[in-house]
Amino acid sequence: MENEFTTVGKRVVRSDSLAKVTGEACYTADIKLPGMLAAKVLRSPYPHAKILRIDLKRALKVPGVKAAISGFDTYGIKWGVFRYTKDHPMLPTDKVRYIGEDVAAVAAVDEETALEALSHIRVDYEPLPAVFDPEEAMQEGAPQIHKEFTNNINIHVNIDVGKVDEAMNKAFLVREDTFKAAGEAYAMKEPYAVVASYKNGFLDLWMPNAGPHVRAKALSNLLKMPLNRVRIRHINSGGAFGGRSEVSPGDLIASFLSIKAGRPVKLVLSREENATSTRQVHDIIATVKTGMKKDGTIVAKDYRAVYDGGAYSSTGPIATSIPFYVYEECYRFRNVRYNGYRVFTNKGIRGMYGCHGRAFLAGNEAQMDFMAKELGMDPVEIRLKNGLTSGEVTATKSKITSCGLKETIQKASEKTGFKKKWARTQRFKGIGMGCVAMMCGFPMGFRSGSSCYVKMNEDGQVTLVTGVIDNGQGNESLAIQVASEVLGVPMEDINLVNADTEATNLDPGSYSQASTFVGANAVKVACENARRKIVAIAAQKLGVKEADIGLKDRMAYSRKTPDNKMRISWAAREAFFRGEPIVGTGSFFPKIDFEREWVSRPWGQMAGTFSFGTSVAEVAIDSETGKVSIPHFTAAHDCGRPINPMAVEGQMEGSIQQAGVATIMEGNLWEGGFLLNPDLLEYKVPLACDMPDIETIIVSSRDPEGPFGAKEGGLTIRMNAHSAVACAVSNATGTVFRELPLTPDRVLNALQRKKGVKR
Amino acid sequence: MILPKFEYKSAENIAKAIAFYERYNGKIRYLAGGTDLIPLVKLRLSTPMAIIDLKEIEGLKAISHQGGWLVIGANVTLFELKNNNTVKEYFPALYESLDATSCETLQMRGTIGGNILQNTRCLLYNQSLEWRTARGFCFKMGGETCNVVPNARACFSNYCSDNALSLMALSASVKLVGPRGERKMPLEKIFSGDGRNPFTLMPGEILTEILIPMKRSKGAYEKLRVRDSIDYPLLGVGVSTKGNAGRVCVGGIGPSPLVYNLKDINESAFKDVAEKAYSDARPVSNTTLSPDYRKKMVSVLIQRASKKALQEGK
Repeated sequence: MENEFTTVGKRVVRSDSLAKVTGEACYTADIKLPGMLAAKVLRSPYPHAKILRIDLKRALKVPGVKAAISGFDTYGIKWGVFRYTKDHPMLPTDKVRYIGEDVAAVAAVDEETALEALSHIRVDYEPLPAVFDPEEAMQEGAPQIHKEFTNNINIHVNIDVGKVDEAMNKAFLVREDTFKAAGEAYAMKEPYAVVASYKNGFLDLWMPNAGPHVRAKALSNLLKMPLNRVRIRHINSGGAFGGRSEVSPGDLIASFLSIKAGRPVKLVLSREENATSTRQVHDIIATVKTGMKKDGTIVAKDYRAVYDGGAYSSTGPIATSIPFYVYEECYRFRNVRYNGYRVFTNKGIRGMYGCHGRAFLAGNEAQMDFMAKELGMDPVEIRLKNGLTSGEVTATKSKITSCGLKETIQKASEKTGFKKKWARTQRFKGIGMGCVAMMCGFPMGFRSGSSCYVKMNEDGQVTLVTGVIDNGQGNESLAIQVASEVLGVPMEDINLVNADTEATNLDPGSYSQASTFVGANAVKVACENARRKIVAIAAQKLGVKEADIGLKDRMAYSRKTPDNKMRISWAAREAFFRGEPIVGTGSFFPKIDFEREWVSRPWGQMAGTFSFGTSVAEVAIDSETGKVSIPHFTAAHDCGRPINPMAVEGQMEGSIQQAGVATIMEGNLWEGGFLLNPDLLEYKVPLACDMPDIETIIVSSRDPEGPFGAKEGGLTIRMNAHSAVACAVSNATGTVFRELPLTPDRVLNALQRKKGVKR
Repeated sequence: MILPKFEYKSAENIAKAIAFYERYNGKIRYLAGGTDLIPLVKLRLSTPMAIIDLKEIEGLKAISHQGGWLVIGANVTLFELKNNNTVKEYFPALYESLDATSCETLQMRGTIGGNILQNTRCLLYNQSLEWRTARGFCFKMGGETCNVVPNARACFSNYCSDNALSLMALSASVKLVGPRGERKMPLEKIFSGDGRNPFTLMPGEILTEILIPMKRSKGAYEKLRVRDSIDYPLLGVGVSTKGNAGRVCVGGIGPSPLVYNLKDINESAFKDVAEKAYSDARPVSNTTLSPDYRKKMVSVLIQRASKKALQEGK
């Protein structure tokens, strides 16, 4: 699409690409510091047990061991994202609550010595009855995992808007289904790692994280150190997907070990530890009851969703809410009731996920298709009928300011010939559609905003300082691209200093889809402030009005007489002469209702704006084996104006893999409290050969508040790709799916159910 | 996960490798491609004092025609074998199983000998030492129980070589050389039927050659897996026919493959085998898909493979 910009909206090579493809990029495990020690963690072999005693004495005697700690060596402060969820001791002293929980740790001259030392730590446990199923855990008399949470109910989100029962009674068509989905593994390419270096009262830390400032604050609390002495430094990240938003036990362990040993400490988790002992994704059971008018209007929704939360709260209140919100931000619900329960079980801790809530979202969408069919409608019509439009307000009172939902539905269905294919019902072939909306940022109190500082050096090169962090999405390149556009210098002239808590200012981090809408907006404001100074000097020097000055290709020029121009670097030097260098600061704070609270007040403006998208999957089923293949996948996304269309497409493609294709293969398998597939062999991440042909469609809209009209790019597809696949399989089998992932055995059962074959 | 410490020795010939075996009192593992061994050592499922590398033994890398046999050195990589013209032209079942093994990158590393002698697998066995210690050791780890089937008296771990199935379908033999000399036997004789110790090889024996009768065959290999690459078979079926004789081999379920000789080559003969194999197969809950489903697929995959084999003939 043509636009008036030099860099924005262009398919530019991301600033981080070269280092990553050549292997030059440094990750936490690559860090080597003088005198650095290796740490290892002793983990709980029990799903639930009292800790009677932890004895580190013999471990400390192993030659080469420099420090050993257990929870008794910490301040015993419990971590929690919210005041009412502070339940995670990181290194427990009372009891262990899942297999793989951190119990003690050592730092030694090398990994082998550390492993040897672990075998000399003695822990006496008294095993307790454990519970692994959330429905069982909610029953009276089930083993209590935290005494503060009765019947193991960690979070109950109750939303009740309008008159649900009355509307349901009057509805022409009512349908209720229950959907289940196994929790997933984040399966980041980089297993978790942290380096801590304590010196002279200052602690430096490196780890893959999704928000350095919130991480530093948490550690400052847990270590009782002032914030300016806990420095989270910039490092490349091998993926987060929502699983690295919070402080991790490893951060605390490495920090205490470094403080004790007086030397830097590196802790690198194994692939298996990354799966069992960092974060996992919630298993979900969602019951969806929907009432519709004869014309397909949704008149009532009644939900009960149970989230298996594992052993601790983590981001519980958010996780219990998000699937509901991304759905209510997409469709018009006049009467809706949502009861979301997050329940403790003796399994690994569950966190937020980029594709969080697939049972709920795919369930809603698949059910809608079958109801539409009963009413003589198709998935396209029913979505267009119920989809929100710009200017409308959601059930919980969020105003939608820009909305391309309709266009994404239309374009995706036109491109795929959806209506025809859906109606034709070719044997063992199916097509399905998934829609969702995505908030760009959500309420995080004063942490919801971002600030940026920019300076121009005497050679006209730029240093950009922002808290924005990149977990692989391209946020760094995004910040540079925005600055490049505003300042009129090429991207390569900009050095980015980011995500380093002693250099950068507060930023919400990259887990609420705020990096573009909030972070890049702050960058834009800062650069505009710096730009004004360049423009003022250039106007004077060139003898034209400020309004006539343009900045491009390192030059300031008169728009009317482009030959009248000067180097931007001259303006920078002149500014130094005047004692007023070209610097700028800028902030952006989204218009959010800060009275909103996930549990106590679940209404009010959720975010500054919302992205929208539609995914369409086409599937074929092997009728004898039940194996699903996905030959084609089409995704249409309203991400506002794409800053870098190539980066948005990359995010969409990654989303189709991680959410879409994963729908037929990914799921954690459990035997009681034992995770059966903590590795990448038996946890089935889709491979290149499993990928469909992909068509990405960017529906370019202009958000009134987004930087250059941009919104979140990519996550919307991550949150609806599973729906498209589940709907397509349901379309092919002729029966609404029941459980994800759609492995061949389940699909074969569905085919036989439809045929009426007895099982 | 890091490797534990062990000594590493490279043998220039078979005699030297066996000498190393004796020097370390048998506490060694032979290394070929390492794609099976290294993960086992990392998981501490195998803790050898020394690893004896066989890769430098030139004699194990050749493919030759000798007296009516195609003789394949045990160290020939899966990738090289897959691209061998004789294999493509004479042994379609083997070509298909080689192509279905893992991914091309690993085919370039893994050897045919190592592929045949890979250890049996179980979802509750191929786990880290910490995981297994917490869960309790099973038969295969030297414990007293099976962790999959309570009160079972046998180990149900699965033999997951794709290529052994097609090789057996082709009536292949193997040559073994050990401290007590050399012997040759049909491939199916190397299986003990005991998941704890799945092979009948004698201590220190090295698989040196695989021999396939040089007769043009028809055949196919069918593999059940969730992903189309890298995955081990949840069930594998090799079918090969030569004239009026043929064989069907079923693997991926239990510690030794099922082998069926076909009396005739027609649809009903295959159907009989499919029915027989369906009732013989005893999958248990030790893979990512349910045993019921895997059992159901036995006859489905046999019929598919046989259809392909029969069609080829026309």
